[in-house]
Amino acid sequence: MTWRALAGLTALNLAYAIVGLSLLWGLLAFRTWGALLRLAGLGYLVGLAAFGVLWTALLVAGVPFGGVGIVVSLVVLAAAGVVFGRFRGARLERGLPRIGGTPIVLVSAAGIALAGLFLEAVFRAARLLSLQEYDAWAFWVPKGKAIYFFDGLDARLFTTAPNASYPPLQPILDAAAFHAMGGADVVTLHVQFWFVVVGAVGAAAGLLHPRTPPWLLWPPLLLVLVVPRFGERLLAPQGDVLLDVLVAVAALLLALWLGDAAGWRLAAAAVLLAAGANTKREGILFAACVLAAAFVVSRPRLWPQLVAASLAVGLAVLPWRIWTARHEISSGTPPSFDTGRLAGAFRLSFDVLYSNARWSVLPLVATVALAAAVVWGDRRLATYIGFVAVGLFAGGVWSTVGFPDLAITADESGNPIVRYTGSMVFLAAVAAPLLLSSVWRKGDKP
Amino acid sequence: MVVAVVWLYPKAFAQANRTARANVQLDNVDRQLGGGNSVLPDQAIAIEARGRIPTHGTFAVAVGPRQPEWSVLADPGSLENYMRYFLLPRRINPSAPWILCFACDRSAFPGAQPVWEDSAEGLAILRRPP
Repeated sequence: MTWRALAGLTALNLAYAIVGLSLLWGLLAFRTWGALLRLAGLGYLVGLAAFGVLWTALLVAGVPFGGVGIVVSLVVLAAAGVVFGRFRGARLERGLPRIGGTPIVLVSAAGIALAGLFLEAVFRAARLLSLQEYDAWAFWVPKGKAIYFFDGLDARLFTTAPNASYPPLQPILDAAAFHAMGGADVVTLHVQFWFVVVGAVGAAAGLLHPRTPPWLLWPPLLLVLVVPRFGERLLAPQGDVLLDVLVAVAALLLALWLGDAAGWRLAAAAVLLAAGANTKREGILFAACVLAAAFVVSRPRLWPQLVAASLAVGLAVLPWRIWTARHEISSGTPPSFDTGRLAGAFRLSFDVLYSNARWSVLPLVATVALAAAVVWGDRRLATYIGFVAVGLFAGGVWSTVGFPDLAITADESGNPIVRYTGSMVFLAAVAAPLLLSSVWRKGDKP
Repeated sequence: MVVAVVWLYPKAFAQANRTARANVQLDNVDRQLGGGNSVLPDQAIAIEARGRIPTHGTFAVAVGPRQPEWSVLADPGSLENYMRYFLLPRRINPSAPWILCFACDRSAFPGAQPVWEDSAEGLAILRRPP
């Protein structure tokens, strides 16, 4: 770890945030500096996602990945947002975020302070963390190193590494981080994942802040950071946490879009889902669950927009599918469906999801919040969240049933169901405040 | 939920601090090797290989029968995956001039000479004649 590496990494992540905020500005997501600050976390995730999706396509097309290419792509993406914003008459005026009365300010300040304090401790753990996770050194980071050293999708490594069908978005981000750090520093690389966690907390808090009282917003967000299964494991240089936060924030954006039909929310959700679908194989399933749930509960007049977003996500997945087909790599879908394993797989997914030892009470509280919202709150919102959750849960059961090699066990060396369930726990953390808030406001829309 | 946060937050915060302190105390080799410490029979073969094989070079990994001192994770697949990760941009090639030998059958590489050896663990770096 060197200060130069940290400074380079910070500059890269700042660039992701600038790119994302430019795109959001172009989509008319905000008009004031205060709103810009509130959406900075979302902007960061959108910028990172757009960069990853763009470079997935460029690498498949054979464009070399290097320092100049990274800078040019970031500038082009940011410029696209600015030009689009100018064309649509976007403005940026003075204005501070609406915070509320004194008790509200105190709760918000306490939430921000506690999250900040914990993330600072995690940063100190991250900056000198050695790379321990098997999957990280078996294929995630080698793929990132290969892009960094060989300027692209080196077929010799990408076709022979374990899980060859996994899309390359996470390795692309690793390779960009190596360029920013000035070398393949696998220790400081953990700080890149710290930035993602900070961005995710900022994105969720920024989106929920105008819709939920802070005493409903902060407990789930703090809890998801400190549940026993996460903590420092959020920094593992693998695609799991990135996929979880992309899908959870996209699901949150669509939940809010169902209420106000703001086009920028749908566009931002499409970018995040496209990135998720290019991060891990199950990302496609997650994106399908979120979009399908939105179709089920949205009004028919909104379907054309949803169709456009779904097509955009589908198009973003194509380049990697073309590359894997060209190199005769199996798609990685479950090869069979052994109904004899169904009951065991269902019990396993259920036990893992409601494991107090892993996720504390978060899934349970979210389930209660969902039921309460069905009875007393916003039924459409609850139906949407319920559909997404059931879809994700069914996907986990399907993966255990469909891969006969997977043992029906929560042991992570035998079955990835615990890592898979992380997406549902992140969803619980961002959905619970919205659901409880709808109950609190006696059926007001989110 | 607030009770859960009150209960778990101090534990997670303390754990993050413990990890930070433990990471600071690691020496640079341990930090660089990371998971390799659980897989490799000895750190030295990875460090020696990184120092001896040119960055544009190629290497092969040959693994023989498990030795009593090796960890349960030291199987052929894990050793090859780890060395590939650790030694990039050096590439794996079965006919490479450099052979990382983990108690391997050296007669399978006629003419290859050891350039580094740890006989206690059965480890060696072999070099085929040009």
